[in-house]
Amino acid sequence: MIPIVAYLALSAVIFSIGLYGLMTQRSGIRILMCVELMLNAANLNLVAFSSYNGDLTGQVFALFSIALAACEAAIGFAILMSIYRMKDTINLDTINILRW
Amino acid sequence: MLPILSLIVLIPLIFAALTLLTKTKEQARSLALVATVAVLLLTVYMYFNFDSSIASNQFEELAQWVPSLGITYHLGVDGVSMPLILLNAIVLPLLILFTWNDERKSPNKFYACILATEGAVIGVFTALDFFLFYVFWELTLIPLFFMVSIWGGPNKHHAAIKFFIYTHVASLVMLLGIFGLYFASWDMTGVPSLDIPTLIAQFQYIESGIAKDMIFLALLFGFIVKIPSFPFHSWLPDAYTEAPTAGSVLFVMLKIGGYGLFKIMLPMLPFTASPNLMITILAVLGSVSIIYGAFLALSQKDLKRMVAYSSVSHMGYVTLGAAGLVSLSVSGAMFQQFSHGLIMSIMFMSCGVINNATGTRIINDLGGLAQKMPKLATIMLFTFMASLGLPGLTGFVAEVSVLAGSFVNLPVYVIIALLAIVITAAYHLWAFQRTMFGVYNEKLGTVFDINRYQTLSMGIIAILILYFGFNPSPVFDMMLTNSEHIISLMAVVGV
Amino acid sequence: MAVENLAFLIPLLPALAFVLTFFFGKKLPSGGAIIPIAAIATSFVLSLLITLRLLANPGEVVTQSYNWFAMFNIGILVDPLAAVMLTMVTFVSLLIHIYSLGYMSHDKAQSRYFAETAFFTASMLGLILSDNILQLFVCWELVGVCSYLLIGFWFHKPSAATAAKKAFLTTRIGDVMFLAGIVILFSDLFKIFNGAVPDGVYILRFDTIFVHIPEIAAINANIFGMEVSHITLITLLFFGGAVGKSGQFPLHVWLPDAMEGPTTVSALIHAATMVTAGVYLVARTFPMFMAAPSSLMIVAYLGAFTAIFAATMGIVMNDLKRVLAYSTISQLGYMMLGLGVGATIGAEAVGISLFHLVNHAFFKALLFLCAGSVIHAVGTHDMRQLGGVAKVMPITAATMLAASLALAGIGIPGTSIGTSGFFSKDAIIENAYLFGETTGSWIPYALSIAAALLTSLYIFRLLFMTFYGKPRTDYGGHESPASMTVPLSILALLALFFGGLTSKTFNTFVSDTFVNNFVNMDISALASLGGYQLAEHAGHEPMLILWMPLIVAVAGFLIAFLVYGLKIVNMDRLVSRNNPIYKLLYNRYYQNSIFTNFFSVKVIYEGFAFAGRAIDRGFDWIVSWFADLILETGESLRQFQTGAVQNYATVVIAGVSLLVILITVVMEVL
Repeated sequence: MIPIVAYLALSAVIFSIGLYGLMTQRSGIRILMCVELMLNAANLNLVAFSSYNGDLTGQVFALFSIALAACEAAIGFAILMSIYRMKDTINLDTINILRW
Repeated sequence: MLPILSLIVLIPLIFAALTLLTKTKEQARSLALVATVAVLLLTVYMYFNFDSSIASNQFEELAQWVPSLGITYHLGVDGVSMPLILLNAIVLPLLILFTWNDERKSPNKFYACILATEGAVIGVFTALDFFLFYVFWELTLIPLFFMVSIWGGPNKHHAAIKFFIYTHVASLVMLLGIFGLYFASWDMTGVPSLDIPTLIAQFQYIESGIAKDMIFLALLFGFIVKIPSFPFHSWLPDAYTEAPTAGSVLFVMLKIGGYGLFKIMLPMLPFTASPNLMITILAVLGSVSIIYGAFLALSQKDLKRMVAYSSVSHMGYVTLGAAGLVSLSVSGAMFQQFSHGLIMSIMFMSCGVINNATGTRIINDLGGLAQKMPKLATIMLFTFMASLGLPGLTGFVAEVSVLAGSFVNLPVYVIIALLAIVITAAYHLWAFQRTMFGVYNEKLGTVFDINRYQTLSMGIIAILILYFGFNPSPVFDMMLTNSEHIISLMAVVGV
Repeated sequence: MAVENLAFLIPLLPALAFVLTFFFGKKLPSGGAIIPIAAIATSFVLSLLITLRLLANPGEVVTQSYNWFAMFNIGILVDPLAAVMLTMVTFVSLLIHIYSLGYMSHDKAQSRYFAETAFFTASMLGLILSDNILQLFVCWELVGVCSYLLIGFWFHKPSAATAAKKAFLTTRIGDVMFLAGIVILFSDLFKIFNGAVPDGVYILRFDTIFVHIPEIAAINANIFGMEVSHITLITLLFFGGAVGKSGQFPLHVWLPDAMEGPTTVSALIHAATMVTAGVYLVARTFPMFMAAPSSLMIVAYLGAFTAIFAATMGIVMNDLKRVLAYSTISQLGYMMLGLGVGATIGAEAVGISLFHLVNHAFFKALLFLCAGSVIHAVGTHDMRQLGGVAKVMPITAATMLAASLALAGIGIPGTSIGTSGFFSKDAIIENAYLFGETTGSWIPYALSIAAALLTSLYIFRLLFMTFYGKPRTDYGGHESPASMTVPLSILALLALFFGGLTSKTFNTFVSDTFVNNFVNMDISALASLGGYQLAEHAGHEPMLILWMPLIVAVAGFLIAFLVYGLKIVNMDRLVSRNNPIYKLLYNRYYQNSIFTNFFSVKVIYEGFAFAGRAIDRGFDWIVSWFADLILETGESLRQFQTGAVQNYATVVIAGVSLLVILITVVMEVL
């Protein structure tokens, strides 16, 4: 058996990569992709624990999470499309209308 | 039994809302007059049924409001609040009469502001529950703010905002004090209560000396700023000067600072951890206010600003008398509030008349007005003499009571106050001579003397000043009863 | 109806007259003058009847008392001291009112004039009748207000308005001292009663005060390292008030300027009545002065000094009324000196001082009214433009001569022949001599003799320059109407004969004023408290001393006659600007520059007042600084809102992490 630590470590690494990307990337698409990464890392974590403890709750939770991720990605991209149509760019650094 | 106190608090407030709905000046002023006269009649009825020989609250109305928090609807009057309510009830109708013929924008809002202020102020004087007290206290700010910022002088916005924020911050500090008292009492008795007499009685049982002092100082701060006393008086010159005449008179009616001093602070004073420190603070603030206000009034070029600073000076007597802790000085201080209310009303009315007639309030630009406005000159001289403490008028009764009474315990401070008397006479006479006597300043053009309504309103207040100056007993007796009661509490502790 | 029950009408009737004249006077002829005249005449009759009754039974004084507020009362006390003052004030006021009918006939504001003089008379009578010190103070101030109104009667003249203000403020300084004295007195009595004043006992009533004098004298105050008895402090403060009201040095500066008002006002207020209120105050509280170490000495010295000080300025003035003003200040100094020698003669001092007060009222009012008559006729105040007026106005000249003889104190010592002034002034000077003998201090006596010389000099100078000789300018003029000359004649008769007729009875009557059924005080017993040594009144001065006052009076007359009558000496060189002494006197010792220009304007107004303004700006700045601080903090906190979503996300994540760590740590600790 692969020790659970390996799965947790993998999950943590993927989450960190996604977090870093979320904080530093300019392009909206990349940010959304990083959000997907973080969500999937959490899913990985859930499934690993579910498998090792024999409890199905984690896998059910992971299925919910995947469905929600899909919805959220759809809406996110729709917003990004509107922004692109208005501002002709998806560089989120330049969009600061709510600045002080 | 009529719930008189509720009536005299609610009538002005309700009529204020009604006045907002009126369309013309005539309707607005008539409605306002009706409301204020109604309050006057009720107050006079209450006065004649008031027993001057007992010190406890009369005409009490008590109803549970929010029992889980200890909030009640509790109203009552005693010898401290009765004269002040009487003062408000008498001056407000006369004020409405004074403004009878004036032209201004939005008269409906104007008279609504006047009525709302009257209702809120009387509410403060009658409230015996801290919740009500605080609500009405804050409520007085709003109509006055609008009064200054809509109908005020050239610098009105700055003055209105400064007044509002300054006194509001002080009220918040006072609120902290109220909370301290509330929670301490809840801790000790296990029952929440915001009832003023109950909390004052509980104050002495608080164990921590620091807590008692902090609560006392927090509450005191709120009152001191409202009186106003040096060094927290800087909102007054701007607010009083920039306000329209009616606004200035309303400010003068706003005696809630001094009222709180006598009703709430003095009964708690002997039980603080360091009463002598508190007495010294009050004495210093009082005597410095007197002389500081006098010197500043002397240096003013604007007549109304001079009157505003003289108000600071007069209110110093209130603080000093309270600190004197002799029944004569405490009642003298209470009487000074009553007297000051009457005298300053006419002073500000006169300034308003002069401003309207000549277009200026700068003393050096005026001159010889007595020849063109003899009626105003007579009333103004009478009032100036009252203000500088001429015997036979109310100012003297108050002054001599405060000075003689306070000298027993606070000799040095009284001497400082005595020095101010000559300065007071100096600035009054200088201003009067410069504006009224001498050759008429032709640059002022033609001026008309005061009209019937103005003469009537100022004249009636002047007659009252004369009457109470010769016979202060009708109000002085009840003040004396209450101050003797307060002093007897002090004797228990040995202050 | 016993006349003593009507005593309260004496001040009340003129007060009613004031109200009636103020509101209705314009509609009546002569400005409604008939109302005050009727009221004051009635008051005079009442005062006279009460005085006669008291003469018969001196011990039964009239008292009534009512509660005012707190522990104060209002009330009436008519004892010999009050009775003679009442009679004098009502009588002189009546005559002056009748005179004013003619004098003020051309003035537009007659009703206001008569209303104000009626009010003044009422206040003065109230002052005299007071049975407690607080009521005396109340009427004292009211009298001051009337003086302000009357000096500034012609208020459209800037000089009059300024003079009125100066009068009020200068006397206010005295009033503050008086008030301070009352405050200290109250405080002491309050402590003596331990805060519990019994019902029916009124603190500050004279009987209460006098009974407790020994206890007050025992209290000491530490002032700048000196131990001062409270009774000395209180009496000196009262005397401070008297200094202001009675124009003693240094608060005399308002009196000459007060001549801006109508001459009848000067006669009424600044000769006969208001200025004598200060003397009355000291006389009324005389038991306290007797018990106070040093107080009476200070009164005597200051009185004597003022007498000579004012006389030196009187000899150089060219304005008719100014000379008389300085003469008033000087004579008031004599009255104070008369009270001050009580250190040697005890209660008799009250008698001789009051005697001079009453006589002075007659002849000084007469002098002013004559001056008014002259001014009314010729239209100018300046003596240099007059001369030979006697030919045009014989009655005025004759009465003026009578008054001058009285002022100079002409009479034959050792007999009953002489003018009123002779009897009263001589009594004071003789007792000053006795004072010198007993205490060894000859200053009061020397100063009073010197002042007598100058008095005679200035009054005869005035007489010669104005009434005799050749007219220096063409001034026209005619004798005044009967409404003016009749009062002059009556006063002249009194000035000549009153003194001689009443001197013995007057002194004993008034000196025993403190031995009666209300205030029963043995003055000599108090003298030991004050540390004064009383001497017997001796009539055995050397002949030279007895005749000295007459000698200097005649000397003054001769000098004036030679210089101004016969013009033997050419005064031009002495009276020039180059003579430094003359300049000093003419400029009144530069008091105007020192007091008004320097002290009042520069020090107080510009100095203190502007310092106060700077401090207040400081307070405003603190408040604004506080407000600015809050605004700046808000400004800097704004920077957090960058508008970039990622920053917000970062902050959220960082915050959550921090919270998780904190909670874990806290959980560990707990």
